[in-house]
Amino acid sequence: MRAAVFLALKDLRLLMRDRAAAFFTFVFPLAIALFFGYVFSGTTSEPLRVAAFVEQSSPAATMLIKALDEDGGFKLTVTDARAAGEQLVRRGEAVGLLIVPATYAEGIDGVFSGGGAKLGLVVDPSRRAEGAMLVGKIHEVAFRTVFATVGDPVQFARVLDRMEESLKASDLSFTDRLAIRTAMSRARTMSTQGADGSAATQSQSLADWKPVSVDIAELSMRPGVPANSFAISFMQGIAWALFGAVLSFGSGIAEERQRGTLVRLLVSPMSPNQILFGKALACFVTCLATEWMLVFAGMFLFRVEVSHWPLMVAVTLVTAFGFSGIMMLLAAGFRTQGGTQGAGRAVLLVLAMIGGGTVPLVFMPPFLRVASNLSPFKWAVMAAEGATWRSWGMLEMLLPLAVLAAIGVFGLTVGTALVRRSI
Amino acid sequence: MIRVRDIRKSFGSIIAVDGVTFDVHRGEIFGLLGPNGAGKSTAIATCTGQLAPDSGSIEIGEAGSPRAARARALIGLAPQQIALYEELSARENLVFLARVHGMPEPVRRADELLDMVGLLPRARDRVATFSGGMQRRLNLAAALVHNPTAIFLDEPTAGVDPQSRTAILDVVQRLATEGRAVIYTTHYMEEAQRICSRVAIMDRGRVLAIGTVAELIAEHGGDSVVTVDSLAGEHRVRTREPLREIERALAEGGATAVRIEQPDLEMVFLALTGRRLRD
Repeated sequence: MRAAVFLALKDLRLLMRDRAAAFFTFVFPLAIALFFGYVFSGTTSEPLRVAAFVEQSSPAATMLIKALDEDGGFKLTVTDARAAGEQLVRRGEAVGLLIVPATYAEGIDGVFSGGGAKLGLVVDPSRRAEGAMLVGKIHEVAFRTVFATVGDPVQFARVLDRMEESLKASDLSFTDRLAIRTAMSRARTMSTQGADGSAATQSQSLADWKPVSVDIAELSMRPGVPANSFAISFMQGIAWALFGAVLSFGSGIAEERQRGTLVRLLVSPMSPNQILFGKALACFVTCLATEWMLVFAGMFLFRVEVSHWPLMVAVTLVTAFGFSGIMMLLAAGFRTQGGTQGAGRAVLLVLAMIGGGTVPLVFMPPFLRVASNLSPFKWAVMAAEGATWRSWGMLEMLLPLAVLAAIGVFGLTVGTALVRRSI
Repeated sequence: MIRVRDIRKSFGSIIAVDGVTFDVHRGEIFGLLGPNGAGKSTAIATCTGQLAPDSGSIEIGEAGSPRAARARALIGLAPQQIALYEELSARENLVFLARVHGMPEPVRRADELLDMVGLLPRARDRVATFSGGMQRRLNLAAALVHNPTAIFLDEPTAGVDPQSRTAILDVVQRLATEGRAVIYTTHYMEEAQRICSRVAIMDRGRVLAIGTVAELIAEHGGDSVVTVDSLAGEHRVRTREPLREIERALAEGGATAVRIEQPDLEMVFLALTGRRLRD
């Protein structure tokens, strides 16, 4: 047993010394997770994807939505219901949901009389940076829509002057003229000094004055729905981590044979079973390490949440066991390193792709979802999703874990027997 | 220490080893001499338990069959192919093998062996950076990591520089002096003549003759050739007593130069097979 552990440690050391193998085992899956995470989240130089829900239609609300829609910085999806908008945010298809409340129009009317319009914004908590950017953009557009009525301060002053002249020529009663003059005087003061009447430069007063306020709320992530695209992509990355580990260690026996070291091991006191156990152990440890690396990276960098820790531990253990079995089958199939690597890549690549390695399982068309049942990667990804955003219980987890365990038992039993025959 | 009785091993229709029998004792270097394809490596693979013989028996000391775990602990093998992990350092290679064999103080043991083969200054360097000769020396050290008593060296000097060859042959002689049984395969007759206590001449899977070098030469090498140069020309004589022939030539007078060509293992092989060893 100790000899097998030393053999596994040696293999792990060799893996780390082989830069290409270490890259494909540890770095590539992380890169894939980040790549797909960003691709699905839309965090690029593309316009911010925003959902919008208008509680009650009004000219002011329509003007705001139109302005947002025409602004190059947004890609707006107006939903009929708040829940539909929240769903888009949960799926990572929108950075946030803008809620235009029924009181918005009323607030706009009172914008110069101490009131003000209010908007609601529900954001994905894992995308706060984009959410903050979104708030800034909303203020900008809202400001524009309000000022569409008042223009810039200089023009606004001219408008007031013209109104003053019209007022003088009018036949309104003294009290009416006084009321109008008072309102106009307040508007003039605001345009030059700010809404609170404090002494300030014109530019500062306008910059500080916000015609609408945005109440921000973070969307509570419901179980069964990924918190963000990284919740999907980091579990997807697990498929590539397993791919790298199986490929690296699957050629291990052939490599030992080709470099002649297998002969040394065979004449050592180690039995062939111990040698194979050592090989499987190295693969098992690597699978486990890369799985946890992705889980922790997802957690700390992108707020991917583990819903059930004991299940996650079980998932990683059983997945590592299952893929150690696949590694042994691969090792049994080919005598040369080139053969193992070539065939391994061809077969595992297809299995990884249909198993959720490229197109996430949740986005797969039905026929591909059925085909993916043949891929062990699918069960590994599904189990990992089950212990994170799918929030599965033990019962739901039973099937993927059973499939992975069965693959492990089959692979290790049959693979070991076949490899033993070949050495 | 090593007892081989009538072993046969074939691969399909090709008979690689055909009824080979020999014994190797402690303190002895037993040479298996033959051309490439003679069956030396297959014989070694069978004797070390890598291959099961089709028939016959092999015993390693009191431990019995080389396929038994007890016997494997006694066997040290330096395969013909350099069998090392190139990405690991020289020390890491030996420490790993020492651990696999359950040796106490594996690092100390590794350093002892590195010192023995003259590689201690390069202990931390990766094997990939070593010359062919250095790799051969480390390959030999790797066979000795668990202090084996039955050592199998399969062409340990193939393709090495003269300096490494000398170092390897010195180590092999030291192993025999320490009381280990060494089986040494080679197709270099000079090496066999220099270090082997006894030699088995192999060809086409069969042992053609076994004995000390002197015995084999005496039995199969034929006569020495004495060449006498004189003003009258060159005169060659085949004789079992070259010194007496030289004495006679000098007594007759007129000899300007005398040369003796003594028979060697090459002649023995030629006599036994009708072919030269390097054909």
